[in-house]
Amino acid sequence: MRPVTDAVPAPAADVAARAAGVRAASPTSRRGRPELRRPAVLATPGGVLGVVLLTSAVGLALLGPVVVGDRPFASVAAPLQAPSAAHVMGTDDLGRDVLTMVVHGLRTSLVIAVGVVAIAGVIAVCVGALAGSHPGSLDDLLMRGTELVQVVPRFFLAVVVVALFGARVSNVVLLLGVTSWTWTARVVRAETLSLRQRAFVEAARSFGAGQTYILRRHIAVSVLPTALVMLSVCASGAVLIEAGLGFVGLGDPDVVSLGSLASNAQRFLRSAWWLTLFPGAALLILILGINLVGDALGDAGSARLGPVGLGSTR
Amino acid sequence: MGIRSTTATLVCMALVATGCGSDEGAGDDPTEVSTASPEDTPTVSDTETADAGGGTLTVAISSDPGSLNPAITTSGAVHTASETFFNGLVALDADGAPVPELAESWEIADDGREYTFTLRDDVTWHDGEPFTADDVVFTFEEALLQLHARTQASMGSALESIEATDDHTVVFRFTEPYAPLLQQLNVTEAPILPEHVYGDGTPLEEHPANTAPVGTGPFVFESYTEGSEIRATANPDYFKDGPFLDGLVMRVIPDEGTQLLSLESGEVDFLWGVPGPDLARLEEDPAFVLESTPSNPGGANCIMTISFNLERPITSDLAVRQAIGHALDRDRFVDQVLFGQGQVAEAPISSGIPWAHAPDVELPTYDVDEARRLLDEAGWVEGDGGVRSKDGETLTIDFVHFPTFSKYGELVREQLGEVGFDVELVALEPPVFGPTVFAEDDFDTNVISYCNGPDPEIGVRRMYDSALIGDVPFTNAAQYSDPDVDRLFEEASQTVATEDRSPIYAEIQRIVAEDLPYMWLVETVGTRAWSARCEGFQPHTGLFAESARCSDA
Amino acid sequence: MSARYLLRRLAQVPPSALLILVVTWLLLHLAPGDPLIALAGQYGDEAYYTAMRERFGLDQPLPQQLATYLGNVLQGDLGTSYVRGRPALSVVAERLPATLLLASTALVLSTTVGVALGVLAARLGGGRADVSVRVSTLTLYAMPAFWLAQLAVLGLAYRLGWFPIQGMTDARRSLSGLAAVGDVFHHLLLPAAVLAAGELALNVRLVRTGLLEAARSDYVRTARAKGAPGHRVLYHALRNAMLPVVTVLGNRIGMFFTGAVLVEVVFAWPGVGRLLLTSAQSRDLPVLLAVFLVVAGAVLVVNLLVDLLYTRLDPRISYAARD
Repeated sequence: MRPVTDAVPAPAADVAARAAGVRAASPTSRRGRPELRRPAVLATPGGVLGVVLLTSAVGLALLGPVVVGDRPFASVAAPLQAPSAAHVMGTDDLGRDVLTMVVHGLRTSLVIAVGVVAIAGVIAVCVGALAGSHPGSLDDLLMRGTELVQVVPRFFLAVVVVALFGARVSNVVLLLGVTSWTWTARVVRAETLSLRQRAFVEAARSFGAGQTYILRRHIAVSVLPTALVMLSVCASGAVLIEAGLGFVGLGDPDVVSLGSLASNAQRFLRSAWWLTLFPGAALLILILGINLVGDALGDAGSARLGPVGLGSTR
Repeated sequence: MGIRSTTATLVCMALVATGCGSDEGAGDDPTEVSTASPEDTPTVSDTETADAGGGTLTVAISSDPGSLNPAITTSGAVHTASETFFNGLVALDADGAPVPELAESWEIADDGREYTFTLRDDVTWHDGEPFTADDVVFTFEEALLQLHARTQASMGSALESIEATDDHTVVFRFTEPYAPLLQQLNVTEAPILPEHVYGDGTPLEEHPANTAPVGTGPFVFESYTEGSEIRATANPDYFKDGPFLDGLVMRVIPDEGTQLLSLESGEVDFLWGVPGPDLARLEEDPAFVLESTPSNPGGANCIMTISFNLERPITSDLAVRQAIGHALDRDRFVDQVLFGQGQVAEAPISSGIPWAHAPDVELPTYDVDEARRLLDEAGWVEGDGGVRSKDGETLTIDFVHFPTFSKYGELVREQLGEVGFDVELVALEPPVFGPTVFAEDDFDTNVISYCNGPDPEIGVRRMYDSALIGDVPFTNAAQYSDPDVDRLFEEASQTVATEDRSPIYAEIQRIVAEDLPYMWLVETVGTRAWSARCEGFQPHTGLFAESARCSDA
Repeated sequence: MSARYLLRRLAQVPPSALLILVVTWLLLHLAPGDPLIALAGQYGDEAYYTAMRERFGLDQPLPQQLATYLGNVLQGDLGTSYVRGRPALSVVAERLPATLLLASTALVLSTTVGVALGVLAARLGGGRADVSVRVSTLTLYAMPAFWLAQLAVLGLAYRLGWFPIQGMTDARRSLSGLAAVGDVFHHLLLPAAVLAAGELALNVRLVRTGLLEAARSDYVRTARAKGAPGHRVLYHALRNAMLPVVTVLGNRIGMFFTGAVLVEVVFAWPGVGRLLLTSAQSRDLPVLLAVFLVVAGAVLVVNLLVDLLYTRLDPRISYAARD
């Protein structure tokens, strides 16, 4: 379903299927698909839309404070005013400007996304590359561990950790970071495994290149596009989990959370529609942007990983 | 009454005719009727329908209680869902005055140390066993004084003995005069359990009857589906007039928005609380009735109170505390957080205890300039970004609160920010909040809903008594210590006559308003809402539906 | 081959479960805070708290508490709920059917409707339709569950009155037999649909892509050339297209539970999701741990089942090569 994604969203579904070891299941990735083999994210209309949405969400988050100021909690007008020229998204029950809060809520979502992706990315690449390049007991051990982390229900764990240790953004980032890397790690491992067998790696080895060198120069670079797709999945999942926590009243009170805004709006569903519309829409735009871009990246990636694309990898 | 009964008859007939009447047969036996309302029997058939045709009431409750034994906990969730199965020795009327319930009368010895209760002899438990004085002794000794935190803490140390002198007489003896007893015997503070059910040696916390209660109350337990609902039927042998309903369903609906939509769509009939924003709209709608009360199953006369940690450098400075008092616009808490469901606290003791409440005490009033002046004088000078600092340290304080009280935090942060504070909000669930604030004293400021109860001895003294500085949650959070205040509380508890206690409490309030270990924000009230097809509720007590009836309009 | 593989997978379950249990237990018990407050309320005195601590064994050192706990777990005893005074496992077991009903209905809805719509969407062909299918499914997918739930309650249940607003049954009526089943079904539809929506969108995407791929593949072309009937061709193509649906399904069961938490809150559905929230708030640790174990266990089991399903769907897969 949706909010809180323990696994793989649409864009990455076929990549995920591959990661699960079902190479045959996904002819997409290996067979040539000339009509989809496009060089960049912007080559598909979906990708263009994704970039537009994502850029506007990120732009609003980064540049918005210049316009709306950096005091999202300040009461600036009468409470519960409908949208007007002065307050384009209206004001909430404490007289705060909803636009200002949405801008700062998007910032929080971005912090979560970037933080989680950074932590999960590092862990995933380390575990995946190690496992993929050391078939045998190390691979076995790492994959057991990955499966273990994979079955942990992340939202359940997040609820508990936040309820017990306090609702801090840093707690959420840390928790989601150390539990969200499994799919990416499997993808990285699968790609590493298959690349090891490939001609150009063999060739490099025959030239006397060391294991580490090969990993870094070839495998890591080849794996990157696929890993990016998985990490985009990770990012939208993390954003939705944080919003879900905010919705059940477990958001960090010192920052604005889009989920908390939606939760607060719940009390005003009948009387102030703008309180639920704008935070929800902001969340939708951000997630949709990430997913569409991930989707396009997946297409671009699978094209690049195809027989021809592989040779031209940077 | 006659008109009402006739209406009920018609409604009942209509129900039977359309075939969508109640499915339970409770109350249909004419013999029950004669005991229920002997003084008000125009005709047999009329009374019969009055008792049987009251319909089924559906009540929304916010949380799943888990247990239905109110004698072993003070949990609001448990009390909300279970009090209706039980009774206290006395009840409290809407003004808080004790009236007979299981006890038909009582006598207080002249020295104020001995209370003798005469119990009704016509009361039976839901399983048919007679109610006796032994049940009362058992309940106090094994349940209330062991496991009901409020009763245990207030009465426990003063009680010398409790004794059944015959089947229908109970005597309470205290080591010193004890004034507040009659306020502590209602179904919230001291629900009475049957010894023959709970006294079988199974530890009370794990007793199977906790989820299948047997009591004396107006409704008989029928079923409990965890997380979903509790069903009950009318008690045909209830010793008071009523109940008139056929049955009662308590439905667990955690989200208050969903609760409201359910009321409006007719899926439920009664809400314990109304979301503030919808209050005005609901009030204007003739389909609903609203009523406010300061009493809740979790405690009565609650004041939202900011505690200052007197052991922390910033908040130990009286000028800073006064500045905070002046910086807070408490009217905005009433308007924007409570949506009018409450009022600004005029004094440290709630106006719900009128004889102890001292409205002429002077508390800091909203005055931003005065707040700034006090901070300037105390050496806190305005710096970058509007945050004040002194000797290189910024005026940063934390504000610890339950997640449910986040709105208070947001307003405090904003209003104190105006005068140069940097407030960091820390939201902690109650089980974490308790040790953090009381055992570790790890806070600068916090907000607590201190429920004063029906008597200051129950819920006020714990906030100021220096003997109650320590690990025990929800006692003296500020770590306030003043020998005069300690002495005055001692004196008040041993003074029996109310008119003699009033001046003592007034003096206490004068002192603490000067020392300002706390800032009293707002008195909160609960607003019940019900469908206009139902009537006769008593919103101030846990037996709220004792005399209610619903028609299928 | 596959039997041996499954046995091996089965053997991995207990150690995984144990490790998750220990880590979670430690996490919970090392966290600040004290379950006593939930038990004892806000008015107790020191003696009262000490007595309560002893009653519940909270005064023992942590390693000892853990050892006792693990010993009990091996005997199937997950401890006694602090709040309810009943075995934690039975508290969870009572709430589990409601969540399983909700999640499995959502699963069935998302799979059947998702596949059906996927087949329809594939008929639209590629090209222009591609963009609109992509964007619309991704939009549905990106909608936060709680937002969709709010909108559904307000619009479909409250304004239009098509569905009940809350609960699993009608509180006013005690129904039995077929009428009771119908009543539950009526209450189930809306929350299950909200829970299914995202997954459904995903399945539409996967099936459509799979079918379009298959249409270009050699075996479908050959079959068509040989004049095989259309439904047979579709069957074969669909069988292939279902593979990613099944993979993803197995790995998303944990997420159905997650979504269930939010949906249960909005619809007052009496399942384990709400039990999780309330026991986290009251720090009822035995119940929290039991919910965890049960949900993690369910995820493990469903993963096993999916592996089984896989061998049936695609005999080409060699399990020796996996992992």
